[in-house]
Amino acid sequence: MKYIRYLVFTIKSAFFDFSRSKGRTFLTSLGILIGVMAVVLLMVLGLGLKRYIEQQFESLGSNLMYVMPGSKATITRGGGIVGGIKFDDKDVRTIEKVKSITYIAPGYAKAGSTVEANGKTEIVEIVGSSEQIVPMFNLEVEYGRLMEKKDVQKGGKVIMLSTTVVEKLFDSAEESVGKNVTMENQNFKIIGVIKSKGGGGLGGGGLDDHAYIPFKATYSFNPDKKFYAIYFKAENKDAIPQIKEDVQRLLERRYDKDDFSVLEQKEIMETISSIFSIINTVLVAIAAISLVVGGIGIMNIMYVTVTERIREIGIRRALGAKKSDILAQFLTESVILSLIGGILGLTVSYVIVFFLQSLFPAYIDAQSIILALGVSSAIGIIFGVFPAKKAADLTPMDAIRYE
Amino acid sequence: MIKLQGVWKEYQIDREITFTALKDITLTIEKGEFIGVVGPSGCGKSTLMYVMGLLDQPTKGSIHVDEKNVTGLGDDKISALRNAFFGFVFQQFNLINKLTVLENILLPSVYASVKLSYDPLEKARDLVDKFGLKGKENSYPNKISGGQQQRVAIARALIMHPECILADEPTGNLDSKTGESILDLLSELNREEKITIVVVTHDAHVAERTRRTIKMVDGQIV
Ligand SMILES: Nc1ncnc2c1ncn2[C@@H]1O[C@H](COP(=O)(O)OP(=O)(O)OP(=O)(O)O)[C@@H](O)[C@H]1O
Ligand SMILES: [Mg+2]
Repeated sequence: MKYIRYLVFTIKSAFFDFSRSKGRTFLTSLGILIGVMAVVLLMVLGLGLKRYIEQQFESLGSNLMYVMPGSKATITRGGGIVGGIKFDDKDVRTIEKVKSITYIAPGYAKAGSTVEANGKTEIVEIVGSSEQIVPMFNLEVEYGRLMEKKDVQKGGKVIMLSTTVVEKLFDSAEESVGKNVTMENQNFKIIGVIKSKGGGGLGGGGLDDHAYIPFKATYSFNPDKKFYAIYFKAENKDAIPQIKEDVQRLLERRYDKDDFSVLEQKEIMETISSIFSIINTVLVAIAAISLVVGGIGIMNIMYVTVTERIREIGIRRALGAKKSDILAQFLTESVILSLIGGILGLTVSYVIVFFLQSLFPAYIDAQSIILALGVSSAIGIIFGVFPAKKAADLTPMDAIRYE
Repeated sequence: MIKLQGVWKEYQIDREITFTALKDITLTIEKGEFIGVVGPSGCGKSTLMYVMGLLDQPTKGSIHVDEKNVTGLGDDKISALRNAFFGFVFQQFNLINKLTVLENILLPSVYASVKLSYDPLEKARDLVDKFGLKGKENSYPNKISGGQQQRVAIARALIMHPECILADEPTGNLDSKTGESILDLLSELNREEKITIVVVTHDAHVAERTRRTIKMVDGQIV
């Protein structure tokens, strides 16, 4: 009972002071609000991006493997594909012979290309491959038909685009089948419209911006007839290690072992995820600086508050308040002040995330909420303790006689 | 009941200069006394009261409260003693403006370090009735008259059943009639509840109302 009354008195007096200086309270909390918002939004963004990447990879199906230029060390360390070699048709035929490989396809990719139709242009990533890319990437047809072996052998100027892309170029996806689009100064005939894999909206189109054409059709803008990746699929998960070993051995006959690497989808996904995690951690850490700045704001205002209320402190001390009572009172105030900021920051983040949801899978999880509230309370304590200590250490007589 | 022995109080003006506000004060206050402390402005009356009320430490000398030497006690113990043993009444009332009349009266009980044998809320209500503050319980101090504020302050001083009330110019901010009624109240508390009362004043008329007068000049008792 006594403690409840004690708490009520303490909190009431805190809120009284806040309501008397609403503007000041709000401005002080604003620092924490911005800090919490920055941290929460970046965390949400990081988690959302990670989830987005995972979804995209999952939509490709399992047991997918790749051969890529460069050593595994540089790729998994995020070095990307640098210099390195290019592969050709001969490599595809070599790997094809490995046991337990169900599908194999070359992967010529050219990002940032455009398709044009009806005077409209869309940015796409050209994927020059074979009909085996279809089962490999789990591509499904919406209208028209999928790429077939004969298209690939002829190297005809045919193209498969996703519904996402054709809907922007034509009145309807259905009527686009059989129409021509211009890409790399050549006409391609749309043979099929493939189902959207979702995602996109993050500046890039994700998997939906792929424009699949037969590999031979790339020759006009890919004169050395080579490509950067070979995709293949293992029969099952258990076969992956053996395939890796076999492919490695076969390619080592032709290339230096540091010039290429055999990877499974999981490794690529983990690499990309870990790169994003690192970037995100750095961003969150930078955002956390704004929390510290917010905390300094609280400390500043708490010092002002203590000075303004020296007399009140003296009165309370005269009535028997211990140093710890005064300390608790001012700490409560600074914690409440920074919690107000934290709660407002979370609220604003909620609203922003609500609108972000249409772009990618973002949501505020319980962990972020607990973290945000925990961190803002901690800031209240850390930055409130010095002003509160100053208040507690005043000599009661000096305090009560303070003008 | 309260014994000061060779008490000195020096204020540090700056690094080299100190001002001696109390010089070798030796004084005994018995239980149930009603004492007036008089003297010219600046002679150290308030300082004496604050040192006696454990709001500040003497520079030298010792203070005994109920035969117990309290000089050098830790802050928590001194605070607890202030809370339970003393009640303070000030010239400027010193109520907390953001708390209601009732909450102001209750405030010392919030800081009580032992469980009280009575319900402070009930006691506070009694005091409100007794001091003619009925209907003002939920008013804020700046919305009531000076006389009423001083009554609230006295009620606050009484909530813990103190042994001793220390009052520094309790009538200084009041007109003579209201001041008189406050003095009546203090005399009554002294007479009927046997509360020891020390009133600091420079007003000879106020001092007349007390039963013993201590005269101070230049930090010394004369
Ligand atoms: N914190 C302080 N620092 C320095 N000097 C002080 C301090 N407090 C009081 N003094 C000085 O000590 C002397 C005694 O002060 P005190 O307030 O006790 O006087 P007083 O007798 O109560 O006077 P008054 O009747 O005007 O209230 C004064 O000269 C005052 O200037
Ligand atoms: Mg004085």
